[in-house]
Amino acid sequence: MITLAHYIVLGAVLFCIAVAGIFINRKNVIVLLMAIELMLLAVNINFIAFSRFFGDVAGQVFVFFILTVAAAESAIGLAILTLLFRNRRTINVAEFDDLRG
Amino acid sequence: MCAVLAAEVAGAVLAQYWPILLFMAVAAGLGMALLTIGLVVAPRRPAAQKLSPYECGFEAFEDARMKFDVRYYLIAILFIIFDLEIAFLFPWAVVFDRIGLVALIEMVLFIALLVVGFIYIWKKGALEWE
Amino acid sequence: MTIQLLAFYFFAFFAVLGALLVITLRNPVHAVLSLVLTFFSVACIWMLMQAEFLALVLIVVYVGAVMVLFLFVVMMLDIKVAAAREGFIRHLPVGIGVALIMLAEMVTLIGLRAMQVAPPPNPAAMHGESNVAWIGTALYTQYLLPFEVAAMILTVGIVAAVALTLRHRVGVRHQNASQQVAAVARDRVRLVSMPAERGDPGAQP
Repeated sequence: MITLAHYIVLGAVLFCIAVAGIFINRKNVIVLLMAIELMLLAVNINFIAFSRFFGDVAGQVFVFFILTVAAAESAIGLAILTLLFRNRRTINVAEFDDLRG
Repeated sequence: MCAVLAAEVAGAVLAQYWPILLFMAVAAGLGMALLTIGLVVAPRRPAAQKLSPYECGFEAFEDARMKFDVRYYLIAILFIIFDLEIAFLFPWAVVFDRIGLVALIEMVLFIALLVVGFIYIWKKGALEWE
Repeated sequence: MTIQLLAFYFFAFFAVLGALLVITLRNPVHAVLSLVLTFFSVACIWMLMQAEFLALVLIVVYVGAVMVLFLFVVMMLDIKVAAAREGFIRHLPVGIGVALIMLAEMVTLIGLRAMQVAPPPNPAAMHGESNVAWIGTALYTQYLLPFEVAAMILTVGIVAAVALTLRHRVGVRHQNASQQVAAVARDRVRLVSMPAERGDPGAQP
């Protein structure tokens, strides 16, 4: 029988993998964006699990909105990334330092 | 009592997906069978000439990482947005009976907002494949 | 171990495997494809939770659209892999350490014993409706304002993405179909009448 703990732990594992990914791929913006998608996915698992186990629809509706906002976010994020690459010819985060004082 | 009911319901859930599993098994089996038959039956006479550039001068095997044009990206973005719009339409269609006029008004408002964006990209010429 | 638990472990294994590949693979195209694997496995897990609508939305919107967008971007920018990997080994111990500590903290906080809850009967089915109807009723009655705000966000998303990336090329020749169709012979051919002339008899024919 799958208990609530199974889903929550799966969400926690995916979230921690995403955090590790942000740490070890600090230079690559594309992997950073993918790690953020992974984090959102982990959170969504928790939302759906609690929604299912408590019988409350709010969690699932919220996941729907998260998916919507995340899709718009990644569209704009990748547009900005494209512009950055077009102007700087690199996706290395360390080189985007124009605002450094 | 409740736990027993839950277990029964849970068992029934997976049982609903048997046709899908069967479908996937058939698809995988068919795919592998066709590939295997092709591998076994097809005649193989390798020759260096077959791999040489053909009439138009394209290399037969080269790096697949061709640079894509930004226009594909624009189309993909527009696809995401309108894909989500359709995703919102499905539950609306299912519960339309129950909610009635209010549902119609809110969906008209929703679509109207997106049409504003649509008119913008149309006027801006993002849909032209120039 | 029931078949359901077996299915859960199967999908969870592939979800975690895909996530690990996303953050370790060298080639960004392969990383995107591993992310697709993760999304797909998680969608299957959502199906196990009888959240069918969201599972399908995840596949249609994320695997079908967002990941394709990522793939386009990866293909569009030809990235020098070596430069982007710089510092990978150096940050590896820190990354793993932080992730493990965080995981330990989370699991303690969750309290595994407290969460050993058996799943209740499907809440949607308790109301005698499908999962889609369950979500839809709430979405279009209680959550009206967030729904319209979502439309605003999508519109802003379209406008921003187009405004940021659209570049009109100069010097491109367009085919104007309506102009072509509207063209009449008068625009193309000019008929002139000239008096006939007698050729010079001495010239070459």
